[in-house]
Amino acid sequence: MDITRQVEQLLKQGRVDIFLGYRELYGHLIPHGYTMDNLEDLENLKVSQHRYSLEKVATHLAEKKPDLKIGIIARDCNQRALNILYTWNQLNPDNIETLNVNCCPSKTRKHGDCSYLEPKETGWFKKENGIDYNAEPDAFMEEFDNSERFSHWMYEFSKCIKCYGCRNVCPVCFCPECSLENPDLIEPGALPPEVPIFHLVRATHMAGRCVDCGLCEDACPAEIPLRFLYRQMNQIVGDVFGYNPGEGIEKSPFTIIGDKVTLEPKPMDA
Amino acid sequence: MNCKFVPSVCSYCGTGCGVLFEVIDGKINSTLPLKSHPVNQGKLCIKGWNLHEYINSFMRLKAPLVKEEGRFQKATWDEAINHAARNFNRIKEEHGPDSIGVLVSAKVTNEENYLAQKLARAALKTNNVDHCARL
Repeated sequence: MDITRQVEQLLKQGRVDIFLGYRELYGHLIPHGYTMDNLEDLENLKVSQHRYSLEKVATHLAEKKPDLKIGIIARDCNQRALNILYTWNQLNPDNIETLNVNCCPSKTRKHGDCSYLEPKETGWFKKENGIDYNAEPDAFMEEFDNSERFSHWMYEFSKCIKCYGCRNVCPVCFCPECSLENPDLIEPGALPPEVPIFHLVRATHMAGRCVDCGLCEDACPAEIPLRFLYRQMNQIVGDVFGYNPGEGIEKSPFTIIGDKVTLEPKPMDA
Repeated sequence: MNCKFVPSVCSYCGTGCGVLFEVIDGKINSTLPLKSHPVNQGKLCIKGWNLHEYINSFMRLKAPLVKEEGRFQKATWDEAINHAARNFNRIKEEHGPDSIGVLVSAKVTNEENYLAQKLARAALKTNNVDHCARL
């Protein structure tokens, strides 16, 4: 059964109130919420090569109406992000229905529906001074010593224009208060932001959360290889806790806050 | 509950980045970069990311205001335009056309900028035309 009929059925059977998919509008493939009120739009339902964080849209909808039943077109990366959102109680798995679509082509899948099938190309200047998008971490470690690696990272970080795009686009960034906007940690109004602390604060917060979907790197106007950074971060999480974010819906090792707070409150500047 | 996405162009500067507004129940909830847009290719600066904030701002003017007796009063467009035209004519007569300057914008189209300089040169009779990109 093709995906349009499947969505139609889900809506008509009342299994979902709204289905988040893609449609073609003015030549652009953009996300769209299909409901019983706009069934005629289903004709334009497309599986988009472009990826948007539909699960983030779902959290916005659930925020306004917690018991809304939401259907989502899901690739592997969407599914991983959904698992994280379930784990952290941002979405209720009982209210989410996914329709899985192709990710990468293989013997069982004739075609892929992802814009990431072609690896990004890195220009020579970036290769020389910064970090190759497709660098192998082990090879990178071997090729450069500590201070060289630091200067390569600093080259990348110093390009940051502090657009907060990486945070805004991230499907697993849902904190109501963000450390990147805390004036005690990050000086407001300073541009470029304090490097490398701005990026390292975000990197540490991605530990145990990042599902390696690549949306942040794609949204970065300064082309900072964020995926590389967060992958390495989660390598440590995997080695220490054996936890692979997004793999399942088991509790994250970072949910350390129990019923009792054992730390004594202290003033920040003491 | 409905949710749709409306493609648009960022209104902050002359670059013209493609944005997508996430509209939930008729209200713009957030802004995303339009991935398939040739100008910004799925990237935005901090202003573009926060476009929805000024659209939803309670300070946003939805009708023209005319200052009468020291206070701004809501007016219709006809009243406001007449008021402006009357006063431009008065200033021009009292102090000469070069007492008026026209500042145009990077956010509007070439054609609108052309019309604005036409208004300055042909109607107001001044060459005081400048552009926000030069300020």
